[in-house]
Amino acid sequence: MTGALGIYNYWIYVLLMMIGLYGVIAKPNLIKQAIALGLFQTGIFLYYISMAVIDGGTAPVWTTILDGAQKYEGPYDNPLPHVLILTAIVVSVSVLAVALALIINIKRTYGTIEYDEIEAMDQADKRADYQRGQVVDAADDVEHKLEGHHHA
Amino acid sequence: MNAVVLIDTLLLLLVTATAVAIIEVRSLYASSILTGIYSLLMALVWVNMHSMDVSFTEAAVGGGISTILLIGTLVHVGREEKPIKKRLHVPALIFTALTGAALIYGTLDMPRFGDPAAPIHHYRVPEMMAQTVGFVNGTPGKQKPPEGFDVERYRRFDGRVTGPIPDDPKDTAWRERSILQTEGLIVPQVRAAHEPHAEPGHHLHPPDDFNGHVPNSVTSLLAAYRGYDTMFETTVIFTAGVSLILLLRRPRREGYLQPGAVMSDQVILRVVAKLSIPFILLFGFYVITHGELGPGGGFQGGVVLATAFILYALIFGRAALYRVVPPPVSDMLTGVGVLIYSGTGAVCMLLGGKFLDYSMLNPALPGDGESLGMTLVEYGVGITVSMVMLTIFNQLAEERST
Repeated sequence: MTGALGIYNYWIYVLLMMIGLYGVIAKPNLIKQAIALGLFQTGIFLYYISMAVIDGGTAPVWTTILDGAQKYEGPYDNPLPHVLILTAIVVSVSVLAVALALIINIKRTYGTIEYDEIEAMDQADKRADYQRGQVVDAADDVEHKLEGHHHA
Repeated sequence: MNAVVLIDTLLLLLVTATAVAIIEVRSLYASSILTGIYSLLMALVWVNMHSMDVSFTEAAVGGGISTILLIGTLVHVGREEKPIKKRLHVPALIFTALTGAALIYGTLDMPRFGDPAAPIHHYRVPEMMAQTVGFVNGTPGKQKPPEGFDVERYRRFDGRVTGPIPDDPKDTAWRERSILQTEGLIVPQVRAAHEPHAEPGHHLHPPDDFNGHVPNSVTSLLAAYRGYDTMFETTVIFTAGVSLILLLRRPRREGYLQPGAVMSDQVILRVVAKLSIPFILLFGFYVITHGELGPGGGFQGGVVLATAFILYALIFGRAALYRVVPPPVSDMLTGVGVLIYSGTGAVCMLLGGKFLDYSMLNPALPGDGESLGMTLVEYGVGITVSMVMLTIFNQLAEERST
């Protein structure tokens, strides 16, 4: 395969990674960010598996050995990227699980999973500490939420 | 343009469209379901690129477990995203566009898709395909075949190699004419492009069941060539299970169970679940046991086993699941899997080999030893993966939102 089609797979890997990166930056929702991180990872998986492909090749499982009558002379795709990625997929679900557990704990502590709101609460908290209990007018509604969750 | 490229092009367009939808849709529930669809599309892409093991893992993990975990979390955190005023985040868009442009510029001098001349198809590929890991290669004490071993028959592969055999087992020129060439196990164009390998011992695989090899070279690489890596990845998964317990498990005095919805009053669900669970379990064990023969292995089989337990918990409630697999038992089994893996390595050391040198398990027929060792290791991985997935599901489902 020649021309632009020859590196089409690599462009899609860039596209998937960038969609994931955009999600991580642009979306304040923590669940969305965890999912976007997963998209970023699959982009990298696609890159690895695309490199393993060889023209006219097939899956690296030898039929020759099980059935001596049929001799397949190759070529086989490179099995090493497959090994790396199949373990990476299982590790990625573990990462997702730990992220979700942390998000549940954040929800319990802050009452929200929107990053900007959490940030505002932290800032308000800091300001409240600084002013030693004086009312912070800028974060009235946030104070109200803190009464319910943070100082409970 | 052949059919493979056409399918590849279409699938990748679908994948990209799904990815955009996942990020842009406002309902988190819809986003989670789309994640499942995305993973299934990805699994098809992997099949199209002949990566059966990865496809299997993606379908089981991405299409099954991740979606369940995401939905289990949404129960606690709410299923709607906060409305955002600006739909398009301009700084993020500029940043990703610039990064993407730089990466695409980087791909321009990549080898073309499927190019046999690409460096990845040459570096160490003959060694990987010939699976010369473990036996003879430079291991002191293994240069000589064991006691009572018919060296002549062994080097002639049960009479399949005819003609004179050199005395020196390190005669690499002879090896190129040996059984590997006869059986066609080396990628031909690679063989043509390479000098004979300097590594001795390729021709010393004995005439056992699999000709000294394991048919699925992905599993062979997973358990032997990258055995340490896989062991520590199993440890990473074990650590994830421990983290979930530390982050979310309630103190025992509060009890494991809060009342949750049970679907066992739905007759169809109950009957179908009871019918399918034994077959799911059987399939899981099949996938683990046949890891070295065909696509599949400990990771995939472990996830399949976990789905059987999760299905049971979804239909009959977690109280019923805890009667089958009490939390102390599943906690213990997550560690047992890692122990089986490292224990197999330690046994190989005690038998006189290196760590994870499976051929020591059966010195007379190292190929069988490798098969046995890989099956043991796959079971270790399978037990850890299934029990960690079960623990993760239990912990995410257990915590009632406050």
